[in-house]
Amino acid sequence: MLAQYATTLTFIALGAIFAYSFYAVLIAGQLSLGQAGFASVAAFSAATLAPSGDDVGDVPALLTAVVIGMAVGAVASVVLGLPTMHLRGVFLAIATLGFAEAVRVVLLNQEWTGGAQGLAVPRILTVGMAWTALAVVAYWFWRMGRSRYGRALEAIREDELAARSMGIDVGRHRLAAFVTSGAVAGLYGVLFAYYVRLIAPSDFDFTAAVDGLVTAVVGGSTMFLGPILGSGFQTMIPEIQRAVGVEAGWIRPFLAGLLLLVVILFLPGGLTSLIPRRTRVPSSSGGPGGAADPAPRLAARAHPAAGETVVSLTGLAKEYGGVHAVRGVDLEIRSGEVVGLIGPNGAGKTTLVNMISGLVPPSSGSATVLGTTIGRTPVHRVAAAGVSRTFQHSKLFNRLSALENVLVGAHLVSRPTFLRRLLWLPSARRDERAALEHAARCLRRVGLGELAGNRASSLSYGDQRRLEIARALAAEPSLLILDEPAAGMNHVEAAQLSELIRSLAQGGLTILFIEHNVGMVLETCTRVVVLDFGEVIASGTPAQIAADPAVIEAYLGTADDDPGGRSVADGTLADPTGSSGAATPDAVTNVDPSAAGTLDIPDTTPRNAT
Amino acid sequence: MQQLLNGIFIGSIYALFAIGFTLVFGILDRLNLAHPAVFAASAFVGIELVERGGLSLWAALPVVFVFGAVLGLVIERLAFRPLKGRADAHFAGLISSIALAGMLIALLQWRYGPDTRRFPPGSFPDTRFEVAGAQVTLAQVVILAVSLALMVGLTYMVTRTRLGRGMRAVAENPTAARVLGVDVDRITAVTFAISSALGAVAGVLFAINVNTAQLGMGSAIELKGLAVIIVGGMGSLPGALIGGLVLGLAEVFAVQYIGSSWRDVIAFGLLFLILLVRPQGLLGARKVREV
Repeated sequence: MLAQYATTLTFIALGAIFAYSFYAVLIAGQLSLGQAGFASVAAFSAATLAPSGDDVGDVPALLTAVVIGMAVGAVASVVLGLPTMHLRGVFLAIATLGFAEAVRVVLLNQEWTGGAQGLAVPRILTVGMAWTALAVVAYWFWRMGRSRYGRALEAIREDELAARSMGIDVGRHRLAAFVTSGAVAGLYGVLFAYYVRLIAPSDFDFTAAVDGLVTAVVGGSTMFLGPILGSGFQTMIPEIQRAVGVEAGWIRPFLAGLLLLVVILFLPGGLTSLIPRRTRVPSSSGGPGGAADPAPRLAARAHPAAGETVVSLTGLAKEYGGVHAVRGVDLEIRSGEVVGLIGPNGAGKTTLVNMISGLVPPSSGSATVLGTTIGRTPVHRVAAAGVSRTFQHSKLFNRLSALENVLVGAHLVSRPTFLRRLLWLPSARRDERAALEHAARCLRRVGLGELAGNRASSLSYGDQRRLEIARALAAEPSLLILDEPAAGMNHVEAAQLSELIRSLAQGGLTILFIEHNVGMVLETCTRVVVLDFGEVIASGTPAQIAADPAVIEAYLGTADDDPGGRSVADGTLADPTGSSGAATPDAVTNVDPSAAGTLDIPDTTPRNAT
Repeated sequence: MQQLLNGIFIGSIYALFAIGFTLVFGILDRLNLAHPAVFAASAFVGIELVERGGLSLWAALPVVFVFGAVLGLVIERLAFRPLKGRADAHFAGLISSIALAGMLIALLQWRYGPDTRRFPPGSFPDTRFEVAGAQVTLAQVVILAVSLALMVGLTYMVTRTRLGRGMRAVAENPTAARVLGVDVDRITAVTFAISSALGAVAGVLFAINVNTAQLGMGSAIELKGLAVIIVGGMGSLPGALIGGLVLGLAEVFAVQYIGSSWRDVIAFGLLFLILLVRPQGLLGARKVREV
């Protein structure tokens, strides 16, 4: 019975293993087509180097070959991965494809590979061995899924820049994914060789690579079962067609193509999207509350003592092709301060915080942030030093749940769990639960506790802003940078946000935030810095700023300006991003020009609630 | 000299094929992997038009152009439009176009069988020229002329006409283009139609050049097309022209001096080198990532 289907079953397993080599990089958002090349190199070297089954016995011979093949695949992927690391998307796909094709042609022209005739390899692999190998590979990716490493890869897929600012070393993670892919492809190459008896370079050509990719995507590239389902689907379709008597020739490939099209169009996320996905929500919504087991802890971070210098900028400047976005900014922020950064549109506020968080290197001047020198430190190191931020335009990991977003935010303070999860160590479970509870606490802190299981992309705009804050908080930063956190919030939400910022400040957190809602800034900050045309025009307590003539001039124009002048021409003072849509300028201007001299501190004029 | 000319003829076909590829990529940011199937299909259709329809070789070209355009509309409609707005549209578009390509090739197999097909004897004019000691057939001259004319026409259309302006606007920012009243769906469909029409003509010209059409001819040129658009610069039309000619010449000279079995290594070695040294290609512009 089994023997009758042995060939089909073996090919399902082989196809699935090959598809996993694509899955390994797809999960990190990389599209590579070099796997056929890795498999090819691995298969030929293993078949040449491994001892013969007659000398050492079949199984040891196969195992040696597998080890050789996986090592060769991994080495080949490093050789290809290092120079192509800076490529993205289609460029990476084509570069890796070029590599695979070059490998094929080189092997075709070698003596030891047998050239186009191919190389004879004994058949050792049985259906049982193939499925055992598949089970090991699938197990690897299953355990990876909910580890810190697996989440980091998904975060890179969703938004590389945000992943970097959460402290994820993107280069290292991408290379790791690539090497995994190479090793799995090597495994496939060897197993394939020891099953089909004769291998030729053309077995690992472009068509093979495309088949592998198709299998992985059809199955679903976001869940570990995907490649198995995909391979089952791809292998069974011709078999089923034969069984039900569909004629060979053109109809079979036509139907196979049609089914593939239907799956891709109607099942976003592949066949695995048919499997209901469990969303994790921590069970202990009420907290550990004196339970028997001590509340698990995350790695604690050393924060600078109150009053210590956190940020120190001297003569910091940024030019974009002749445009001086930021000019000669000197600024010192001490631990425990809440600094508001205000200024008209285009004043250079976002450029300044991008430099402070390490995303944009300064053109001149120097900056030290929490002991790191800006300009020479990669973003993830700046994050590791304790800088955490939100973005002016939400950069959430859209296809992850709210809770998972925050878990990624906790990357720096949680421990790596993947290897321990492979071994089912209880400590890994404890660490994961600690991270989960920490993330849930952060979500509750911004008032999103109820929405933990929802996809980030399904949240309302205001909730997305708050989720970004929760994600930034999860890193337990020493310096929190908020870039227009209240943009798009209605005034109730904005008031809650002020409340949150004040309570964070009471906990000793240093906060730097950009905001156009001047009332909110004056209300929440201990110090306000005003930027105009890239320069600091004022800095002081909220009361000083509110009375500063230079600030009033920058915002409202001088008294003899034409009355409709600047504030209206700018569009809106309160919400210049225009994110509140069709609001009329009158409705959103929350500073009345006639009150120019006074500018009361608690300016509670409602923002236009849309 | 003979090799130089051969390189230019084959290179101009590569360029024409790659321009269709790069047009869709440059404007819509999608890689249409059904493009090679259009290339193959139109070669078969071209041969049938000459063989059964009794058209002359040259009269068949405009018919194939229209055939390709229609095929392009079908591809856009079936494989790309349904994916609009999906987060994974990039990957899904690759796969759906591969699926459609498989279906197209299956249909070709149904209509024409698995064998290689040729133009009926006598469909090529006998006129030959001598250029600096090298033999050139009239067919080859026409190949070059048609390729260049189409490429010049396309460049004119993209840079000078209202439709071209719409295309460039969509390439820059589809949302903004829509807000400003550009019919993005129409532009998308037209882009696919033009792209496939060019690929179709390239297919017939290729079939004329070597007097064969095979089911697998699409996948053979697919890799080269990808190499050409990378070498020339993704989305750059003049880049694709230069890339095509460079590849055609490199291949011909590789065969001449190194041996035919190493031909493809040259192409991919070149490709790899360009990607490492100048990822944006010879004439491509580097896209700036915004924060």
